Amino acid sequence: MNAENKTSFRKKVKNTDKKVRWLITIGGYTIIVNIVAIMLFLLYQSLPLSLGATIEKWFSVPSSNNAAKVLVTGIDPYLEVFYEIDAQGDVRYYSTVSKKKIGENKIALNGAEQFLSGAKGSLQKEIFTLGSDSGRIVTGLITMAATYSSQGRSISPSLEIIEDWQVPATNDSIPNHIEKISLSQNEDESRVWAWQDHSGDVQLRIYDADMDEEYNYNLSSDLKGENVTALTLSANAENLVVAGQTGRVYWFDLSDFEDITLKDEFQATSLVSSINYLLGDQAIVLGGTDGSVSTWFPVRTPANLFKFRKVHTFTAHAFPVINIFVSGRNRNFLTIDKKGNAKLHYSTTGQTQIEFRPADFPILSGTFAPKSNAIIVIDAQNKFGLFKLENPHPETDLTSLFTPVWYEGYPDAEFVWQSTGGSDEFEPKLSLIPLIFGTFKGTLFAMIFSIPLALLAAIYVSRFAPPNLARQIKPTVEIMAALPSVVIGFLAGLYFSPFFEKYLMVIILFVLVLPLIFLSIMYLLQRIPDNWKSKLPPGVEILFSIPIGLITLLIAIVFAPAFEKLFFEGNFQQWLYHVLHITYETRNSLVVGFALGFAVIPIIFTVSEDALTNVPESLTSASLALGASPWQTVRRVVLPAASGGIFAAIMLGLGRAVGETMIVLMATGNTPILDLNPFNGFRAMSACIAVEIPEAPVGGTLYRVLFLTGLLLFIFTFILNTLSSLVGDRLRKKYARF
Amino acid sequence: MAQKKQSGNNYVFTAGMALVITLGMTAWVIIIILFKGLNFFWPGDLVLVDMENGDTYLGEVWDEKVSGNLEEDELQLKIGNRDLYGLDFIWLNERDIARKNYLENAVTLEREEYGNFYGFISSIHMGDTVYQNNLADFFDRAQEAHDVALSKAEQIREIQNELVELTQPSAEIQREIALVGISLEANTPVASKKVELLQKKLSEKEEAIAPQLASFNSTLEKLVVEDRNMFLEVADASGKIKKIALSSIVRFYQPNEMGVIRKSVHYIEKIWEFVADNPRESNTEGGVFPAIFGTVLMVLLMSIAVVPIGVMAAIYLNEYAPQGMVVRFIRLSVNNLAGVPSIVFGVFGLGFFVYVVGGSIDQLFFGDTLPEPTFGTGGILWASLTLALLTLPVVVVATEEGLLAVPRANKEGALALGATKWQMIRNVVLPNAMPGILTGLILAISRGAGEVAPLMITGVVKLAPSLALDWSFPFLHLDRKFMHLGFHIYDVGFQSPNVEAAKPMVYSTALLLIVIVVMLNLFAIYVRNNLRKKFKTATF
Repeated sequence: MNAENKTSFRKKVKNTDKKVRWLITIGGYTIIVNIVAIMLFLLYQSLPLSLGATIEKWFSVPSSNNAAKVLVTGIDPYLEVFYEIDAQGDVRYYSTVSKKKIGENKIALNGAEQFLSGAKGSLQKEIFTLGSDSGRIVTGLITMAATYSSQGRSISPSLEIIEDWQVPATNDSIPNHIEKISLSQNEDESRVWAWQDHSGDVQLRIYDADMDEEYNYNLSSDLKGENVTALTLSANAENLVVAGQTGRVYWFDLSDFEDITLKDEFQATSLVSSINYLLGDQAIVLGGTDGSVSTWFPVRTPANLFKFRKVHTFTAHAFPVINIFVSGRNRNFLTIDKKGNAKLHYSTTGQTQIEFRPADFPILSGTFAPKSNAIIVIDAQNKFGLFKLENPHPETDLTSLFTPVWYEGYPDAEFVWQSTGGSDEFEPKLSLIPLIFGTFKGTLFAMIFSIPLALLAAIYVSRFAPPNLARQIKPTVEIMAALPSVVIGFLAGLYFSPFFEKYLMVIILFVLVLPLIFLSIMYLLQRIPDNWKSKLPPGVEILFSIPIGLITLLIAIVFAPAFEKLFFEGNFQQWLYHVLHITYETRNSLVVGFALGFAVIPIIFTVSEDALTNVPESLTSASLALGASPWQTVRRVVLPAASGGIFAAIMLGLGRAVGETMIVLMATGNTPILDLNPFNGFRAMSACIAVEIPEAPVGGTLYRVLFLTGLLLFIFTFILNTLSSLVGDRLRKKYARF
Repeated sequence: MAQKKQSGNNYVFTAGMALVITLGMTAWVIIIILFKGLNFFWPGDLVLVDMENGDTYLGEVWDEKVSGNLEEDELQLKIGNRDLYGLDFIWLNERDIARKNYLENAVTLEREEYGNFYGFISSIHMGDTVYQNNLADFFDRAQEAHDVALSKAEQIREIQNELVELTQPSAEIQREIALVGISLEANTPVASKKVELLQKKLSEKEEAIAPQLASFNSTLEKLVVEDRNMFLEVADASGKIKKIALSSIVRFYQPNEMGVIRKSVHYIEKIWEFVADNPRESNTEGGVFPAIFGTVLMVLLMSIAVVPIGVMAAIYLNEYAPQGMVVRFIRLSVNNLAGVPSIVFGVFGLGFFVYVVGGSIDQLFFGDTLPEPTFGTGGILWASLTLALLTLPVVVVATEEGLLAVPRANKEGALALGATKWQMIRNVVLPNAMPGILTGLILAISRGAGEVAPLMITGVVKLAPSLALDWSFPFLHLDRKFMHLGFHIYDVGFQSPNVEAAKPMVYSTALLLIVIVVMLNLFAIYVRNNLRKKFKTATF
């Protein structure tokens, strides 16, 4: 090999060395990158929860109508076409792209007739009704048909008159003026109209689509002649709420079309200027003449009646509230006052999210877009204002996640986790407290069970067991640690829970009797002369404990029925229910404590056994030389010296119990309740994630809340692990000088 | 006396007792699973129970409630015949039972559908030939007939496969035509031209295969008719007659008449079926082969991802990193990574791998199949990568242990001879640390095989239509969903409609999983102990 070759060879070798150094350094840092990436990603996914709503002016454009009052407006789901219906019966369609009129329809009027009032009848469909000054009620549907071609999507709106109905004339020969009207069409296409005429009477007309029948009611007698200021129907056509001029609010139950009943009446906290039902047909929003905004819903009273209660009060307006628009997607609603100031609220959280000013004049009509991603309003100057709304996660904020929330239909503010319901109308209940509580409940029972067993066993193995035995026990415990949690979980769910239920008395009795038997045998053993004892081989204690256990078991089995009869009326489960009002669930926290404890024992055992074994020989020898008994040495010398390791072991065990998924998933009923009672289950954070995240829509609120749950778990275990490392290290150093 | 109390022997005994309880629990768990898991395959005797009220039941004794009081004792029978009774199990009160008979001609029929049938064979129908059960070799004839029927069924399957292959090209053309019909340019002249061309191609193809198709169809028809005419007439305990197609029977036997040896042969057959066959009846019967396959493949993919990184990280910590903050920080990270709950890895895997990485891959390479996701949904690749993250600390810790065991003298010797650091690591450290790396790998595999929570959200399914590794290009389908033994336990034990009937299957699967995991762990322990021994003698 010549010199040149040699140097090039050396260069090559050096080069490789350098490259490898780089590669391996990257490999080393991957670990840090991994853990940081996991944390940042979880954070990144859950942070949008804290972002509020944003509203942004899209455009405003004058209506091509300049005289008649606009009664109804709407927009299609793709935000391409919007429309207005005015007092002259003109329907005009506009494009959001060209911002020009693209078509019109006409609802025929008789002579000088004018429409006085209008309303929409569904949160999903563009169905509307108009009431005229000659007692006509016209109901129609605007269809936004989407057609697809190679140029893309195009929306062609069309009008269909569903019904044109004349209110029968009253005696006083003045034509009926329909001054206020509300419409609701439910899923069966049954329709309900409620209106107030010039005489102040509130009338109700029902079209039952199933039976093809009509019903007409005059509600004035129930309203005691009060002048009505606002009325609204719920979207399922089952409720009518009417507000009178004295601030009294009347709730009619329409669920039986043949028998309308006044279900409740109450005094609102201020005079009501407008009213509307929120999505879900439970809660109503009241807008006051003093600008106040509040939500109310019926709550079950002790007498099993439903009474409206005021639940949330929102930031008030300075002027009377005249419009309330509700979202068809969630519990969002928009209130607008007489001067055109608007506020966006969210009913579940009780938050006022945004205040803005859509127009300088009073708003005549407006609505949320079907997907709640835009708001359209038209002001008294007949000018449209369109606003884009972005409100991805209104259901959650810090308070709703961690403090009690008063949900619709609940008697009071509570911590509830109930993430999904059948439809959009369901109010998601996302309180993390029941989940956190569940996690710690399971952990608590697991730790009560596992810490004493694992620590005592570790002490025995490290200090008292004959070396041969100790050598064999370590691998056995490692095997125990290797048992997949799914196997332990399934045994807990399918074997141990029925077993516990069947032999609960025996188990209780066993736990109670064991110390007694144990102590008495110990007492007997102490009678044995010491010189006999010294002849026994070391480790004989273990052999003694087997008969003790068997005897106790036998006693427990024999006396369990008598014991149950004596103290628990012969049936423990029934006794629990009658006396303590506790239902015994088969998959309960005791079973979880046992199974989870089983999973945690090997961790605590292994780490603390290591710590106990590593206590310097010099310390123990010194103690024994000073005349201390082996147990005294353990208690006063070994345990303090190994306390760092033991602490670390417990922290690690805690971390494992907090994060364990399959066991809690399979061994509990997964009911999210706040109850420390050992005879029922719980829902842990980890199990909740495992069950719910596959069904959670990506990027939705539930998805992000579950990521937040994951982040919380991560933080819990991170703290526990770091504590375990740091404190363990410090205590180890402290005793290492011996 | 006071002194004796001081000595604290009681406490020592208490500690010993704690150990006994701990070990006892482990033994309890293992024994339950061993017993219940192995019991499943043993052919149970069939008992014919005559009740006082005249009812009769035939089935396997499943469970007994013994209360000490004969009046209250109860007996649980598995009566099977789900298609007739709706219920698989029945509880009978001992005091209502008049007689129990173990008849030799009682038969257990394991079927493809509806679970077991317990009853008596009354006649065998083979086309026009009928054998009645008064023949001496009746049962043997039934077995023969079954073999014939199974081979016929196999033939039918083969022909059906060939038919599918034959019609594949024309089906594809038809699909293309359909696609043109719903595309944006439908109803345009270009489209109709395209359709015309395709139609022509289609008719050509159909013409070409017509004769072959006809012959296949006629053979198939004949076979199907033959198959339909091969059935058993069986009677249940009450004498109700039912026809069961021979080809729908997996196997049948007369347990009461079988000796221990024949039962043992049957037992081994059943274990083989369990390990090597596909599941039946929504996973509650048959085998778990796809789950074993999925577990192994997933664990292999995971190892490919985790071992290089884990070993590199361990080498960095031991050989390269300057001692100080960085090393402490990395060690803290390793500890913390080991403590992060597995479900959190699952959430990360779902959010990051599946939706972010997989979603991007779909956008870039599989845009034409969107919104149907390819990699943007759970799959074996994402599950393996998630588990790789989870097992990383295991590999790092075990490798470090191996690295630490390499004597300093060896390393310094290599350096003194002029080796570069990498040469020293490659030729001295790595070969000597191999047992440590191997231990890490085995422990990682064992952990990965037993983990379920992160898998169930990143790609495991209850029933995968096809294996992730097969003969069709590109052979290894990283985007496919897969089955997993651990998830199988959870799914069959907790999600199946008939949990009681599925339980034995769950115990057997659990036993299999435990055997795999424990074997791996024992192997790891063995390797590690040998490593210790080896280096104890290798010091200079």
